[in-house]
Amino acid sequence: MAVHVARDVDDATRAVAVDERAELIAGGTDLMVEINFGRRRPGALVAIDRVQELRGISRSGRVRVGAGVTYTQLLADDAGSAALREASRSVGSPQIRNAGTIGGNIATSSPAGDALPVLAALEATIVVRSVRGERRVPFAEWMTGPKRNGRARDEIIVAAEWESAGPKQTFMKVGTRNAMVIAVASLALVVDASRRRVGVALGSCGPTILRADRAQSFAAGVLDELGWERQAAPTETACAEFGALVASAARPIDDVRGTAAYRSHVLSVMAARALARVAVLG
Amino acid sequence: MSEFSVVGRRLPKVNSWAHLTGTAKYADDIALPRMLYARLLRSPHAHARVRSIDTSAAERHPGVVAVVTGRDMPEKMGIMPSTQDETALAVDRVRYVGEAVAGIAATSEDAAFEALSLIRVDYEPLEPILTIEEALEREDVKIHDEAARANVFKEVHLSFGDLDAGFASADHLRDDWYFFEGNTHAAIESHSAVASYDGDGKLTLWTSTQVPHYLHRELEKVLGIPRTRIRVIATPNGGAFGGKSDPFAHEFAASLLSMRTKRPVKLTLDREEVFYAHRGRHPVKMRLRAGVKKDGEFTAAHLQTWLDGGAYASYGIATTYYTGALLTVTYRIPAYKFDGVRVYTNKPPCGPKRGHGTTQPRWAFECTVDKIASDLGLDPLEYRRYILQPPNSRTVNGLRITTMGLGECLDAVGRATGFSRTHRKLARGKGIGIAGSAYISGAGLPIYWNAMPHSGAVVKIDRGGGVTVYCGTSEIGQGSDQMLATVTAEALGVLPEDVHVVSGDTSLAPVDLGSYSSRVTFMAGNATMEAACKLRDQLLSVAAEALAVPVERMTAALRRVYDSAEPAKGMSFVEAANLAEARYGTLSAAGSYTPPKGIGGDYKGAGVGPTPAYSYQAAVAEVTVDLDTGVLTVDRVVTAHDCGRALSPVNVEGQIEGSAYMGYGEISGEEQVFRGGLHKKPSLLEYKIPTSLDTPKLEAIIVETVDAEGPFGGKEAGEGPLNPVIPAIANAVFDAIGVRFDETPITADKVLDALGKRDNRGVPKDRIGPSGLAEPKRDPGGAKRRLGFSTEAREQRISRVTGVETATGATGPGPEPGEPGSGSR
Repeated sequence: MAVHVARDVDDATRAVAVDERAELIAGGTDLMVEINFGRRRPGALVAIDRVQELRGISRSGRVRVGAGVTYTQLLADDAGSAALREASRSVGSPQIRNAGTIGGNIATSSPAGDALPVLAALEATIVVRSVRGERRVPFAEWMTGPKRNGRARDEIIVAAEWESAGPKQTFMKVGTRNAMVIAVASLALVVDASRRRVGVALGSCGPTILRADRAQSFAAGVLDELGWERQAAPTETACAEFGALVASAARPIDDVRGTAAYRSHVLSVMAARALARVAVLG
Repeated sequence: MSEFSVVGRRLPKVNSWAHLTGTAKYADDIALPRMLYARLLRSPHAHARVRSIDTSAAERHPGVVAVVTGRDMPEKMGIMPSTQDETALAVDRVRYVGEAVAGIAATSEDAAFEALSLIRVDYEPLEPILTIEEALEREDVKIHDEAARANVFKEVHLSFGDLDAGFASADHLRDDWYFFEGNTHAAIESHSAVASYDGDGKLTLWTSTQVPHYLHRELEKVLGIPRTRIRVIATPNGGAFGGKSDPFAHEFAASLLSMRTKRPVKLTLDREEVFYAHRGRHPVKMRLRAGVKKDGEFTAAHLQTWLDGGAYASYGIATTYYTGALLTVTYRIPAYKFDGVRVYTNKPPCGPKRGHGTTQPRWAFECTVDKIASDLGLDPLEYRRYILQPPNSRTVNGLRITTMGLGECLDAVGRATGFSRTHRKLARGKGIGIAGSAYISGAGLPIYWNAMPHSGAVVKIDRGGGVTVYCGTSEIGQGSDQMLATVTAEALGVLPEDVHVVSGDTSLAPVDLGSYSSRVTFMAGNATMEAACKLRDQLLSVAAEALAVPVERMTAALRRVYDSAEPAKGMSFVEAANLAEARYGTLSAAGSYTPPKGIGGDYKGAGVGPTPAYSYQAAVAEVTVDLDTGVLTVDRVVTAHDCGRALSPVNVEGQIEGSAYMGYGEISGEEQVFRGGLHKKPSLLEYKIPTSLDTPKLEAIIVETVDAEGPFGGKEAGEGPLNPVIPAIANAVFDAIGVRFDETPITADKVLDALGKRDNRGVPKDRIGPSGLAEPKRDPGGAKRRLGFSTEAREQRISRVTGVETATGATGPGPEPGEPGSGSR
């Protein structure tokens, strides 16, 4: 198997353009598992883990996180998103967090990808580049199914971008143990007080990352009354109602990790707790 | 000051440097010149006839040097001589998904793996039997033709005392059903073996095994070469827990491939294969009836167990008896009946896992004891103390009890946690639970009938004062090398670091039956002590003469041999050793140990249960149950363990904590689950052993009763401490939410179900568990359909990926492997 170690993004885009068999590898925490299990046999690899341009975080205007940023990096610098830090903390083990990148999560597009509900709730934009130029895809349009997305074979994910949303945000995940675990259900809640916007996104509860529109509107109504900027807790009833609305947005299945009924139930609990937690943050 | 110079001191393990620095040489670390790499082809069918195997294409594959199949080694084998129902590789039937069918040796592991898909196996699929209930009933499908009734492997019935009178005189009766889910060992090192057959016709097998001696016997039988030409070396095991105590396919395949090629052959299982090799904890359904007086005193107990044995015997005959034998050694039971049935099913064979066969009934029994305490309004700790079986007594089933520290253990965990002040007084969602248990210090009988010792050791002293101990024990991480060094050093008056340990080698060391049933400290310890004391007598005698001191005043400690009345008067250990060698010749002595006679009953089946000494333990668990998500958090487990005397206290504490960790894993989530006979999670990603973030705060308390027959008073510490942890947690969950979990594991889903919160429309329940044997599902062919579907999907995927059109089941049988880490590409 030929391995091309890319120097920069242009080098990488050219390499994938000329060799149709080429697949990209960054941290390898997904791809190598597939290779080791014999589920994929790439004809060639283009390694992008040494491309500096992909490894930066910038906050001039919009927040931009390079696709090659690892979860360990995000623990040190969360790019202003507490939810992203919390999600990064829940990925795998320290070894996996040292190697795994946010771009890999975006590329694999597993409904259980820990960073993805956060990107969805932040309404992030995915930036991809190829020899044909650069494209910007809203996250809502990115995933098309389980482990399927809008990336063309020769495109490289270079970054995710979003408007900074302030401190009121959180990520929650339920697994069958506390580390080294794939989410049974996860949830990201972002309350962007300055834009009067609520973002709720669910992981492991459907074929793609799901949004809970009715729950978002309901929470916005609650915050209109409470005051968006204040650090005041909603009533228990409001939190419970929010939880029920979130759960109703899920399309869970029974699988080896948990039942659909359990997923729906814990979503409602997580959502209620998330709203209560986020509302008092400032 | 202690009467000992080494025993009881907090010294590091003799092999800790190698383990901590990664220099310990495990089987897979061995690399020999010209070595080949082997892989096994495994069955994709849960149950099928093997019509034919065509290996010709695989043999032509570049890099392949040799291929072997079941027909090359058709001799029946198995760990228990009376129930040998396995062959090294499947001959004409496969009985579980993952059963080894053929082996390939090649110049690289990749070449061997690729060639697997070129072996054509013609299978005729048969209907698989997957549940206890089906196995009991289905006469039309026989997994083993030899089974007399349906798929029953073994059925035992034992009765002691007057059961009817016992139940008739009871004031209070309980009748409870339980189900303990199967689980596996998950040792960090996967099984590995390296075989080297030399030009002179001698075979050496380095292997990660707990039982080099038994394996030695089976190799002779299966390979057809005399044992004189076979040498088994048990490499340090990276954990074993019972999972490396059978003879395995990969050990025979590596050996035969080496014999065929005259080159060394390495065969290391991958993690998925370890789940198929299994021999783990049996799933056991149980019914326990108990009669007690008003004060809780037992009048009778009747235990019925149904064990799901998987496809082969393994230790099953012993496991079956163990589910009943030890129930009587903790509390007074005047009348006891036990009925046990082990069945065959088309799943990986179950066998011994830490606590072998006693863990499941102990959990059930301690839950029943807790229920009785609750029914009668008694404090669960005080109640247990009140009904204790006394030391130096006989149980109703004839077992001899000597030292018995369960009372002290209960007191110790009670004091450490304030149990009786806290129990039933915590807020809803918080709970505290207690349980007691016992285990054996080695089985009273060997696995094959013989009158020879269970353990032998040789100790030798060289002219520089170095000491070497030779013993056939297998170091599985439990600290057996440390134990051998400690006992030798204490007896001779040197330090453990002066002692070289040669263990696990059938050529260099005398026979020890192996590292199973927690027998090593008691049996190999006594054998070593006998050998070392013979040399000690020689040293003391020559030193006494040289110093003109009466020999009975002489002693040896810390590398000196001296007058205990006047310690300045003495000589160095080396000087004494040199004098002794000049007097007696080469300083070498042998010792051996055989358990005493008459420690059990004399009925059929009395062979399982007796031991020279029982260990006892108690645990208290503190838990938090999240009433909204159903998540069970175990906050703290305190375990007290009566190990007779702690020869190496740090090591004993390590065993207690490791046991608590393992017990916590078994009740909180570990489970072997199958779909149509296909293991649903054969990976450490999906089979959830707890991580350090899950593990409760663990505290170990050592209780010493100083057993008169144990080496320096020692008893076992490796298995017993697991047993109380599981029921203590179950009882704590009851204290927290008022729900009895009469099945394991306790998952969040089940907790929510019990609380009536699943779907937000359930009705709360006061127990979760079975209420009898289930009606077998009438879905003939259903399992086959489900399995066929999964297998087909996998093969399509493989041919898509590799472009190789696979023969049926050409590659590993694996199901959809666990999704990769949710991290990234």
